[in-house]
Amino acid sequence: MSIESPGSGVAKRSFELGDELPSLRLTLAQGEIADFVHAANQAAPRFISDEGARADGLPGQIAPGNMSLAIFSRLLDGIAGAEVRRLSATFRAFVQPRIPLVASGVVTDVENGDGGTLLHCDILLETETGDRLVTGTATLFLPNDT
Amino acid sequence: MPDSLPEIDRSLLGREFERSVSQPITAAQIIRYARACGETDPRYVEEGPDLIATRTFPITLRREKYVPEGIPRDLMYRGMDAGKDVELGAAVRVGDVLTAVGTLHDVYDKTGRTGKLRFLVLRMVVVNQRDEMVAIVDQKMMFR
Repeated sequence: MSIESPGSGVAKRSFELGDELPSLRLTLAQGEIADFVHAANQAAPRFISDEGARADGLPGQIAPGNMSLAIFSRLLDGIAGAEVRRLSATFRAFVQPRIPLVASGVVTDVENGDGGTLLHCDILLETETGDRLVTGTATLFLPNDT
Repeated sequence: MPDSLPEIDRSLLGREFERSVSQPITAAQIIRYARACGETDPRYVEEGPDLIATRTFPITLRREKYVPEGIPRDLMYRGMDAGKDVELGAAVRVGDVLTAVGTLHDVYDKTGRTGKLRFLVLRMVVVNQRDEMVAIVDQKMMFR
């Protein structure tokens, strides 16, 4: 999948409630979804082509939930040195090709510990026009020594 | 009015229904998946001792069974993938052998705007050859 505005890999070490993660803008191509599902052992017809999806009663090709998780993982990689510990997503609507998407996140809690900081975030994948497709939460660990 | 929600045998809860052991993970698998995710970070796409899999790689493990015996396989096609909760542990590296264990973790009902909904939670626990937790994946399937 090609990311139009990749996260900047921010090296920020101190986070506060309400801090926003560098957002991602992307548009999935049909071929990118097909490539993803082949690499992810998930090659069901609904993920491969419009025809395959229509045979399943869907309006057209859709991206699997795992691809949304992969997009969130890319989003969270925007914080340099952070390790994703937990990722939770609710699939609210179909993610389809050719529709401009925005992935974004905001810090909702910060826990400082001995070895580092736990960041809790709300994350969102929506269309450019504001339709919320996937909502979620994430926990990242930011070690002190990175 | 009677609902058409699938009846689930609750005695299946918590019972292991699947145990799949992967072949040793290759650099090609890791890099192919990372590129399909759009990754360009050398940690994920450049072969060598520092290569690791992207964090969502364990979710993609090929498995023998996705639902317990006693739950019709076609039932899963009638449901909707409602979401996933993923806890992530050890990073996956070249040569790792991953074991995925599947259980039916939970069955519960909710009432939504359109009526009663039934949720199945299928849990997959992935460990590596050192018995380190790699991932715990809870997949929620929704039926209406």
